[in-house]
Amino acid sequence: MKKWNRGAKVALAVAATAGLVIGALSPATAATRTTVVIVDSNVFTSLNSSTPDTNLVLNGNVAYLSGAGFNYYDEKPELVRNTTFGTYKIMSKTPTFKVKYTVNKGRLWSDGTPITGVDLLLSNVISSDAYSIAAGLGDPASEDKKPAFDSLGYGGSYSKLIKDVSIAPDRMSVVLTYSKYFPDWEIAGPGPSPVHALVAMAMGEKKLGTSAHNVALKSKFLNAYIAKDKDLLSKIGKVWSNDYNVTSVDAKTNPLLLVCNGAYIVDNIVKDQRVTMKLNSNYNSGLPTSGIEKVVFTTIPDPTAAAQALANKEVDFYEAIATADSVAALKKIGAAVTVEGVTLATYEHAEVRSGKEQGTKVDYTGPFDGMSQKAKDLRTAWLLAYPRQEIIDKIVKPVNAKAVVMNSHQYFPSEPNYSKMVAASGMAKFTAGTQADRTADALALVKKYYPSAAAGSASVKLTMLWGSPSNTRRSAEAALVKAEVAKAGFDVTTTPTSGWSSFLGDPKFDVQFYAWSKTALTQAGNFGSFKSTDSQTGYNNLEMDKIITRLETEVLTPTEIYNLYLAAEKILVEDAVTIPLFQWPGVIAYNSALKGVNPSPLSPSFLWNFWDWHF
Amino acid sequence: MFAFIMRRLGTLAVILFGSSFLLYNLAALSGDPLADLRTSREPNAAQQIIALTRKLQLDIPPPLRYFYWLRGLFGVFIGKFDLGQTRGGESVASAIGSAVPTTVRLVTTATLTAIILGISIGIVTALRQYSKFDYSMTFVSFLLFSLPIFWVAVLLKQFMAIGFNNWLGEPSIPIKTVVLIGIILGLIISSVVGGDRAKSWKIFGVSAIATMLVLQVLVKINWFLQPGLGPIFYLLGSVGIAFGVTQLSMGISNRVALKSSLTVAGIAFVLYFPMQKVFEMQKQGLLLAAAATLTILIAVGVALYFAKIDRAAVVRTTVLTAVLLGILMIVDQLMGTWERYMGSDAINYRPVPTVGQTNPLLEPGDYWVSTLDLLMHLVLPTIALTAISFAGYIRFSRGTMLEVLNQDYIRTARAKGLTERTVIMRHAFRNTMIPMTTIIVVDFASIIGGAIITERVFGWTGMGTLFNKAVGSFDLNLLMGVFFLTGTLALVANLVADLLYSALDPRIRVGSGK
Repeated sequence: MKKWNRGAKVALAVAATAGLVIGALSPATAATRTTVVIVDSNVFTSLNSSTPDTNLVLNGNVAYLSGAGFNYYDEKPELVRNTTFGTYKIMSKTPTFKVKYTVNKGRLWSDGTPITGVDLLLSNVISSDAYSIAAGLGDPASEDKKPAFDSLGYGGSYSKLIKDVSIAPDRMSVVLTYSKYFPDWEIAGPGPSPVHALVAMAMGEKKLGTSAHNVALKSKFLNAYIAKDKDLLSKIGKVWSNDYNVTSVDAKTNPLLLVCNGAYIVDNIVKDQRVTMKLNSNYNSGLPTSGIEKVVFTTIPDPTAAAQALANKEVDFYEAIATADSVAALKKIGAAVTVEGVTLATYEHAEVRSGKEQGTKVDYTGPFDGMSQKAKDLRTAWLLAYPRQEIIDKIVKPVNAKAVVMNSHQYFPSEPNYSKMVAASGMAKFTAGTQADRTADALALVKKYYPSAAAGSASVKLTMLWGSPSNTRRSAEAALVKAEVAKAGFDVTTTPTSGWSSFLGDPKFDVQFYAWSKTALTQAGNFGSFKSTDSQTGYNNLEMDKIITRLETEVLTPTEIYNLYLAAEKILVEDAVTIPLFQWPGVIAYNSALKGVNPSPLSPSFLWNFWDWHF
Repeated sequence: MFAFIMRRLGTLAVILFGSSFLLYNLAALSGDPLADLRTSREPNAAQQIIALTRKLQLDIPPPLRYFYWLRGLFGVFIGKFDLGQTRGGESVASAIGSAVPTTVRLVTTATLTAIILGISIGIVTALRQYSKFDYSMTFVSFLLFSLPIFWVAVLLKQFMAIGFNNWLGEPSIPIKTVVLIGIILGLIISSVVGGDRAKSWKIFGVSAIATMLVLQVLVKINWFLQPGLGPIFYLLGSVGIAFGVTQLSMGISNRVALKSSLTVAGIAFVLYFPMQKVFEMQKQGLLLAAAATLTILIAVGVALYFAKIDRAAVVRTTVLTAVLLGILMIVDQLMGTWERYMGSDAINYRPVPTVGQTNPLLEPGDYWVSTLDLLMHLVLPTIALTAISFAGYIRFSRGTMLEVLNQDYIRTARAKGLTERTVIMRHAFRNTMIPMTTIIVVDFASIIGGAIITERVFGWTGMGTLFNKAVGSFDLNLLMGVFFLTGTLALVANLVADLLYSALDPRIRVGSGK
């Protein structure tokens, strides 16, 4: 462009303006975008998100995009098998419980090396305390020295029950032998790790090997695994625990660190700023992607900054802080950004104390103590007067307009069994009529024992535990509860408590509400806290204990499981010791041109079906 | 002098030890790093608690644990300096090492702008004491001083980024806005220039109309989408700079300095054309460094050729002119890159970003596009930081200047018959700068400490963010690392300021207090 021609441009001003306006407008709509920029509030710290130091959402999301295993959670949420990658089936349930995992032929790592059963063996090394001790890699439960593999996986059900892991002669399958059946075996199963790359790095290699070399390295790992070769395994442990902690990736980074089998592979990482991932050309371990070629995770800690970046089209996807203000701010941006309320796997519930926590000294002597008819009636009255709908309408709906009162402990309203369960469990008692009717019923129940009770009479004095002063949402909830239950003759003290979570078993508090968070779907369901030995509110019901024990240990059909859940919920309604309130609301906001977003309440939440995303 | 410095260094060590011990213990007592795990429903939570206790040495009481940290610090004497690891497993030294440059990049420009702008406005308000300009600047500076930066940042992003980018889609300015901008600029210019009522109205009228016309023309020639100076405006700008610098430093009446500056401007104009080709070459970083060196050498050469007496002053003036001309040429080059930058897929005609340090989608390779991208990401944070921090400089330099102007030696200088320019620039301004030095040195040291809120709202991970993160996640090693660096710098800066003060002002001598 010759600058001294500018004079002529003045004469052509009108034409140029028109041309440029068209020029300026067209690129925004014409070309199909292939990059999606996702906001995260943290910085990236490691390519391995399975150590205690690195177990962060962003690291996990990068790992999810760059990995594929035997199963994943969908939006329902249900555990879905990824049959593109491989299959697994139960071989026997007794006397020992055996499961066979088989990798499909032809699956590839990003460097072109075939994935085999050998790649599944590392899972045992990083999850089994017994193996770690036997191979001389250190006792993960030790108080003064960490094991060679600084893994988050030790100490769980898998570690307690696993007896043997053996590899089939064709090296495509492994058979896991547990000492007995346990219901949650599916989520404890193995996942693939690029062991050839690990061995190569343990031996100091700095570049991708040939395929023959990689096959040899795999055999080397298999031998070391079988022989419990402390020397090599310790070196691999060092790589696994430390070398994956990279905060920047560029052309100089050891490419072995990036070997993966997921749809996207890390392209580059700018320290403290962003992670850029590109399509993995050798990807065949999962469902095919739909047109997104690059995924960028960019770090923006401040919610207002993220919302404005979205408005300025610098980013495409943002999982927002769930407050009414932030939702209002996001909605103001306009049609270019879609704002969706979502439900999280964390749910708020109210609990009523019925005794003292086992193993503690101080007795509970409040009005709700014990299983007498009086205590049960008063507890029922408390739960009847609990203004659940009002809480949803005033506190949750401004964030998620689709929010509803939760009426089952086990199932979220989105799940298929939910309505069936609610109809059968007797929860109708707490949903019939209007809140005014229910509060009137509650008052009638209180009157049976406190004849002078009336609205505002403060006949029954209670103390409620709900959270720290800084939690404004809970403070508003507590205020709503206090106002409504007063109409049924209750007088509840709602002073906030700093460090509230350590007082959950304190008999000073008669009632409390807080949240439970589900991270996985387990057969035991959400009833563990009502076992007499574990209940912090002193709940003690033998029937309930039996149900929980069966759920935790037995091999059950889906119908049996459902019936046990139903029995448990019926008992909880009958004993009036708890009531579910609502699922925590979440908010996602994204570029309206982005299609296929369908968030799941379980991790990795919105990202789970990235393969459906497209513009 | 030596004893003084040693004594100060000794005090420094004692203060650092005491405050770090106190901070370590307070921070350790402020929260429970195991809180999350205690309420966790994970089956292996107990084992995770063991692992974290092991890692953070939580079984050792904080006052003792402090000495483990101190041992790592003292390792500096045996070559094993160790500030420990962050909770994310990164070494604290490397975390700080990468945060410092980010912070410096974010804050330096703003601090420099605030200093230059603040001092110059402060001095002008002192010279025009109790004028409209003085009152309005006092008002504006106090207004900005009292605004919270996170709010300023949100407004800036809304109007200067999102609004401006939307506007660029169809860049036309409504006539009402043009008139308004004209009137505002006219008022500012007329109040700075001063003079009697008639002159003031005349200046107001001329500058307001000129501003409106320029805006209209810029819009008509689509300047906002294809900005640039071109050789003609570059020449005009150069001559303006040459006159301006000479006037401020030696006075137009000094023909030698003027000739020297104008010659440099002429050379710059001739070089303007070949430089367009140079800018397109590879290895721009090296070329620019070479060009900068060459610029200074040419300026010195020209100055020495013209000046026979008072050489140092002429060289200074000429070099300053040359540097400004170089900057102007780079500005012109960046303007020429604007269209290319805007049209790229990554930018897509939304050039002003609200967050981050660089655009994640921009393809690397084009030096000028990358530079422009870096600068664009600096625009909003710099404006925000400058706006809230320059008020202090304005007030301080205004006060100091007024005080200096009332001194006897100023009256003497006037009585000698020196020009007003010489009195102000040589006698008053230099003495004003002595107390300013103290503030500036301490401010520069605090740059490293970072700007906690600014970094957060603009998404930069610098020292402020590290500090914030360390406090939020009970990351003691990280907190102590940040504290140690910023604490040491603050103390050293105070020492340096004291020493500088005595060096600049012969009336003050250090170490003679007893």
